[in-house]
Amino acid sequence: MARIPNKKRKMFVKPIVKKKQANVDHITGDKIPKSFVFARGKLPGSLRQLQMDLRKLMLPYTALKLKEKKRNSLKDFLNVAGPMGVSHFLILSKTETAPYLRVARTPQGPTLTFKIHEYSLAADVAQSQLRPRCPQDLFKNAPLIVLSGFGSGEQHLKLTTVMFQNIFPAIDINTVKLSSCQRIVLLNYNKDTKLIDFRHYSIKLQPVGVSRRLRKFVQNRQVPDLRNLQDVSDFVTKAGYGSESEGDDEAATVTLANDLGRVNKASTKSAVKLQEIGPRMVLQLVKIEEGLCSGDVIFSEYGTASEQRQETNQNNEEDAGDDEDSD
Amino acid sequence: MAEETQMRESVKPFRKRKSGHKKGSNFKKKQKQFLGNKEKVKKIDPRLKKLLRKKARDYNSDDDNEDETAHASEDDNADSMDDDVSSDDGKEKKNLGIEIEGSENEDNDEIPPGITKFSEGCRAFRIAFKSISKKAISDDSLGPVLSGHKTLVAEKLAEEVAERRVKGEAKKEKHLVGEKGHVKPANYLDAHEKFLISVATKGVVKLFNAVNKAQNAQKGLNPSRSKDAKVIKKRRKERFFSELSKTPVVDTSTKVHASSGEGPSWAPLRDNYMLTNSKLKDWDKMPDKVVHDDIGRMSEDSSSDDD
Repeated sequence: MARIPNKKRKMFVKPIVKKKQANVDHITGDKIPKSFVFARGKLPGSLRQLQMDLRKLMLPYTALKLKEKKRNSLKDFLNVAGPMGVSHFLILSKTETAPYLRVARTPQGPTLTFKIHEYSLAADVAQSQLRPRCPQDLFKNAPLIVLSGFGSGEQHLKLTTVMFQNIFPAIDINTVKLSSCQRIVLLNYNKDTKLIDFRHYSIKLQPVGVSRRLRKFVQNRQVPDLRNLQDVSDFVTKAGYGSESEGDDEAATVTLANDLGRVNKASTKSAVKLQEIGPRMVLQLVKIEEGLCSGDVIFSEYGTASEQRQETNQNNEEDAGDDEDSD
Repeated sequence: MAEETQMRESVKPFRKRKSGHKKGSNFKKKQKQFLGNKEKVKKIDPRLKKLLRKKARDYNSDDDNEDETAHASEDDNADSMDDDVSSDDGKEKKNLGIEIEGSENEDNDEIPPGITKFSEGCRAFRIAFKSISKKAISDDSLGPVLSGHKTLVAEKLAEEVAERRVKGEAKKEKHLVGEKGHVKPANYLDAHEKFLISVATKGVVKLFNAVNKAQNAQKGLNPSRSKDAKVIKKRRKERFFSELSKTPVVDTSTKVHASSGEGPSWAPLRDNYMLTNSKLKDWDKMPDKVVHDDIGRMSEDSSSDDD
């Protein structure tokens, strides 16, 4: 008697559980967005590097080693995206005027097209820094996203915020572990220039109220140099160098809910420090299409849809190339 | 003189043998034919003749070098030997001649009648050769080029250089187009970067504080443990419902205010009656409530009117 219902239950439950593990967060039960980053058309070397950087940024829910061939069409990616649960495409392309980044939701769209005015690679950013920082598990968790300056109420900006909020898995405040918040992606909209600054930082927490020497001692686990000191107590009591930049970032201090590493204990004050990882981009929202790289133009930087159509008929230079890319 | 002639003779058979060797078995056949009738030989295939001539030239060009060195040493030694050398050269020429005309009179041991002519011509050749060898070679970038088309060669080289330059420029241009928009960041943080970092920091701080606030409430409970998870769920539900019970009051009041200005005051007469209401589940109980509410409000209104 008892066996039969047991069997039935197993038969029904197992596949569902498997599916859930693949696409759904195990605590909050939300669907995890996944992404593909790829290129349409041939890219020069630096842009290919940017593509790689973007893939790293989208980790861990992205295909880091996605191989694309010349003859792969958008449909091929779409066909793969369905069973893999990929929800977003980031498509890089290049015309003679500038490189472009398209962000699209997969099956149906919409597609946001950004013109990349300037960009710097992660390697460039690391090169510009004195001590580039890259802890081991930096890319093991999805980044946080901060959108600022988008709240002016315009429709296309709202759509952009929704799009970028959904590109990374949502955070549940009640269950999130602070140790999983390692990176942050910042999108800052400038109203005057209509440009979006795209930055990628790593988050570092430091205990506040401890002298630099002690902090280093705890972090490095190395035997300190005590040659010049009379007594061990001197090491603790002696004031460090005066320039400790703790006074100016009062706003950047946090009390932690739980322990974070060895140094940052729960219910102590910690300072939040950000260091750029890269890539860095300056984007301009050029147009929004309803479908996946197709369909009606909802928003266009260069006039309304009908106007633009006339324009393109007159001088189909850039957009023709762009459309070809998408097909 | 005697030595020289001997040398010549000693050299001669060797050369002949070699030349004969080159021609292979065909050569002997030719000999036989040659003995038979001379006319046939003259009808030799012009192509073959050409080839033979070429071979002979190649062959002798090697020997020329040897002779040149010998010639130079002799020149240094004495001028009186000039005649001898000339004869030597003549021999050389003769050899060449034999090679060329080999098909005609190969086997003749006697000196052919044209030899004197050769020796005379050879003198001219010698003079010409001497004048060439005495010429100082200018150290051009081209190196020693004997041909008279020196300018042509120079032109060709210049063309190549120009071509390469054009190609390099095209490549550079392509690279520039590819690098368009690529900017190397500065070593320092400028004001804009600092502003961006501060914005991002604010975001992080906000999140961390929110997390702190939320997780302090459920301290000591582990969300991954099922028992604790249940408690957390219960608490969250309670909080959610408490939030719900708060908000509807505000919502309805705003709604009423918004709608009262436009449509009729009685709910069923409004255009959006039942459409905006989210609780369509209990639609059969609703009207009473609404009516009650309306009545209540009516009474309030009336009371206020009365006042």
